[in-house]
Amino acid sequence: MKTASPTLASTQSIFPTVTGIPNGKLGMWVFLASEVMFFTGLIGAYLVLRISHPHWTGPEGHLSVPLGTLNTFILIGSSMTIVLSLAGQERGSLPAMRGWLLATIGLGALFLIIKGIEYAAKISHEIFPSTHVFWSCYYTLTGFHALHVLGGIGFNLRVLAVSFNPLAWKDQSHRLELAGLYWHFVDIVWIFLFPLVYLL
Amino acid sequence: MNAATSPTRHYFIIWAWLAGLMLAGVLLSELPIPKVAVVLLVLFLSSIKALLVALYYMHLKMDRRLLSFIAVAPLVLIALALGVVFSSKLIRL
Repeated sequence: MKTASPTLASTQSIFPTVTGIPNGKLGMWVFLASEVMFFTGLIGAYLVLRISHPHWTGPEGHLSVPLGTLNTFILIGSSMTIVLSLAGQERGSLPAMRGWLLATIGLGALFLIIKGIEYAAKISHEIFPSTHVFWSCYYTLTGFHALHVLGGIGFNLRVLAVSFNPLAWKDQSHRLELAGLYWHFVDIVWIFLFPLVYLL
Repeated sequence: MNAATSPTRHYFIIWAWLAGLMLAGVLLSELPIPKVAVVLLVLFLSSIKALLVALYYMHLKMDRRLLSFIAVAPLVLIALALGVVFSSKLIRL
């Protein structure tokens, strides 16, 4: 029989459910499943356009692979910091939890700053979504992803703020795990977007 | 096993794998090999990375099986949808 994660086990005793999974966590997973479908629709459209377009110019010479690689490092690193934040919470160390969560927020913000620099460079060269079907896909895919990163930062900030209120934290500490699940999903989306848009 | 330090080390090891696989993908894309092979290899590496994140950072490996089913369900639908899209394209060609 599988062993439940410590976080699951701790919340399960407080909120017994039919599935054995806290409702919030189950809801987050169902939400993420719908988000997978959302991004697959966008990525699928990109792939079909790319394969069927006879004169696909692609990103050659226009997208900075070093910047994209750096952003990937940042997002992968932020996935680690948020799971370390959860590990800190499970050890009962609030300072560690807050520190790693703050690092996650900082890395997320850095990702968006770099993305903003990239956008600014494109716009300064008069590259807009209407320039070419590739750029239309580029702005749509990376733009929606950036919005999700922004949403994740907001979620993480909210969890961080609540952790300073002991009474609220007692009831809402499980939200760190939910924020972590969402953040990892955003990382997984980028894991596929980066090679598809920058490398291939 | 030290419960306080072991998970941290474990998470760092996963991060090192993720970073290594990402760099491997970047290097592969620069190699003078057929484009189809590059696409397949790079997407394979991306799938491995996504699996590592889901299993170890999202704790699917340790969690209830129901969550794994929820995670896999959209992938089945995606496979069906992409299958329909690409099969119709092949028929047209």
